[in-house]
Amino acid sequence: MNRVFTGATIACIVLAMIPLGSILLEVVKNGISAISFEFLTRPQGSIVTGGGGIGPAIQGTILTVAYASLIGVPVGVLAGIYLSEYAGNSRFAYGVRFFNNVMTGMPSIVIGIVGFITLVATIGYFNITAGAVALSIIMIPIVVGVTEETLKLVPNSVREAGHSLGIPKWKVTMFITLNSAKNGVLTGIVLALSRIAGETAPLIMTILGTSLYFQGLLDPVDALPLRIWRLASQPYDHAHSFGWGAALILIIMVLSLSILLRLLVLEKRFKLGIPEMLKIRRMWK
Amino acid sequence: MTRLLDLGLTRISNIVMDMANLSVRSVDGSIDSYEKGTGSKDQIFEWSEQLRVLQDEATELAIELIARYQPVATDLRFIRSCMEISYGFSRFGRYAYDIMDTIGTMGSISHCDKTPVMEMAGTAREMIHLSIKALQSKDKNAAEKLYEMDDTVDALYRKYLREVITPTTKKGTNDMLKDPRCYLSTLLILRYLERIADHACYIGDSVHYIVTAASSPRR
Amino acid sequence: MTSEEYVGSVDYKTERADSDVLSYKVSVRNLNSWFGAKQALKDINFDVKENTITSLIGPSGCGKTTLIRCLNRMNEMTASASVKGSVFVDDTDIYDGAVDPVLIKRRIGMVFQKPNPFPTMSIHGNVAAGLKLNGVRDRKLIDEIVVDSLKSAALWDEVKDELDKPGLSLSGGQQQRLCIARALAMQPEVLLMDEPTSALDPIASSKIEELINDLKRDLTIIIVTHNMQQAARVSDYTAFMYLGEMIEYGPTKQIFENPQKDLTERYISGKFG
Repeated sequence: MNRVFTGATIACIVLAMIPLGSILLEVVKNGISAISFEFLTRPQGSIVTGGGGIGPAIQGTILTVAYASLIGVPVGVLAGIYLSEYAGNSRFAYGVRFFNNVMTGMPSIVIGIVGFITLVATIGYFNITAGAVALSIIMIPIVVGVTEETLKLVPNSVREAGHSLGIPKWKVTMFITLNSAKNGVLTGIVLALSRIAGETAPLIMTILGTSLYFQGLLDPVDALPLRIWRLASQPYDHAHSFGWGAALILIIMVLSLSILLRLLVLEKRFKLGIPEMLKIRRMWK
Repeated sequence: MTRLLDLGLTRISNIVMDMANLSVRSVDGSIDSYEKGTGSKDQIFEWSEQLRVLQDEATELAIELIARYQPVATDLRFIRSCMEISYGFSRFGRYAYDIMDTIGTMGSISHCDKTPVMEMAGTAREMIHLSIKALQSKDKNAAEKLYEMDDTVDALYRKYLREVITPTTKKGTNDMLKDPRCYLSTLLILRYLERIADHACYIGDSVHYIVTAASSPRR
Repeated sequence: MTSEEYVGSVDYKTERADSDVLSYKVSVRNLNSWFGAKQALKDINFDVKENTITSLIGPSGCGKTTLIRCLNRMNEMTASASVKGSVFVDDTDIYDGAVDPVLIKRRIGMVFQKPNPFPTMSIHGNVAAGLKLNGVRDRKLIDEIVVDSLKSAALWDEVKDELDKPGLSLSGGQQQRLCIARALAMQPEVLLMDEPTSALDPIASSKIEELINDLKRDLTIIIVTHNMQQAARVSDYTAFMYLGEMIEYGPTKQIFENPQKDLTERYISGKFG
């Protein structure tokens, strides 16, 4: 019976891995041919004849995600700190948590529409700020949730130790409690970043997408998910191959974020430098 | 609920009470032997030996209880007192043995004047009984009474001592001088009885200490 | 000013010189405490002499932990806790409105039951944490204080070559000494210890007991313990508490040889609790 159970669980894992594996294979197979230095750096050439690349999209994704996190990370972390350290179980806190949970499930297209109405319509044109704000709205609930949870996991004894040394509460929270939870919080942030890097719907309504490089905070900008969608809708083969290439780049970017996180966590946990870590990797081989 | 220590306390208490009974029998036996010539020397010797063994046992048990159970307050005071009291009872046995030994060494002393010894023996026996009763009932005031009785014993001892060493009195030549055996045996046995009285007082002091944690002011 | 500056100042020295009797470092007057509606401490009154070790003993739920946490206002960390009464440290009532609850904790340090070094900091970082986070910038001064504190906590010899290792890499007993060093770095006048050895093995516990005995030269120590033999070994004065009241308080020798109250006698003899 044990063996049957073990066998069944292994089969499920394999089953779960198949779609992921096949996606990666397809993307790499189809996209690798499009990659070149030109592809990565030049804006798109003529729609009909092809040429050029997705340079603006890459830049746009990086900028939009960075801009969004500039808003999302402080707001999310501080809100998480408030809920965990200051609010306790008041009705206000209960309401905030409930609202936060609702927001994590909010469809991104709805957020996009709201972004459109509030920021695009008022400013007058599609712009990167609207896109960043929309993405940050998606990001904040995730960061708040993860921050609060990891802070709650820090045992109270650590806080008490801090207080007993005569350290004011805000310093205990920022430099001791948060310090102890920083791995979890960082994980949460990177997860949120990976999520918003791939969001398409809010971007449609807010940044428009363009073939130009970044022009200003109140101007439109391109992004990879948007570009992939546009390229896929075009009837030309070279557009499709560009689309695969863009998809490959996007996956590489998101994967690198994850790997970077793993390295950061490993480094902090074991106080290792890069050379030691490479040594460990060699040992594992 | 019985504490582990309570089992040990009951044991040491039983040992001490056994010693009490044994010492009473020894002292009674030796006095009777002096008065009436009855009683077996070997029996008293055996009891005295037993008392010594029991005293060792009590002391060992006391140390074991202290090492294992870390007793405090009344329990600790009781254990300390048991060590002192068991020594007292073993001393009673020893003096009974000494009395028997004196009687044996002196040979025939049935013709001697037995009044001094019997007078003091009466008080000494009373004191032994009083000290045992005090131990059983944890009477802290017995020490006071015992010291009063000890004063009379001391007075008696000094009186007879003076009489014995005075060659002539109004009554005539000292009877004691007529036969040195009477004179020596009486003195020695009076001495032993005086010591028995002292130890009875110490037992009273130990009982007082169990109850009040104060050592006797008299001491 | 820091407590050390105060103790070194002219005012303090003249005050102390005036009193002939060994003065009381901590005086508790009419202390009552509640958790919500439930009363945890009932009219506690006692005085602690300077440079002595006082232990609080009693069965679970008697209020000894609540009392010790009231002595440096740590009990305020618990929701629904309220306090009435006074705790005088030297001549300052720490519950006076003018006293800053954060600053008072620098004069009255605390060590907890389960060793709680800061998990992300090294040994050096742990000991220095209180100093750094209270604004001390001078690196040399911090290093000196760290070395002194580790020496006072009898941990220096074991860690002097490994100050950068994480605090959590030490054994339980060493971690507790690290926490003591961390508290000592703030140079408190009074050290409160809440069952400091109950999570440790006997050898580690006895090392800490020896350490406590050495520390009383410079500090006044109040320790909560559920281990009566520890209280008997380590303290100069013992207080027995039961159901929120202080039943008896006196020199340890007297409490353990001849307690005045029957309840005390029954508790220390193991007849209940």
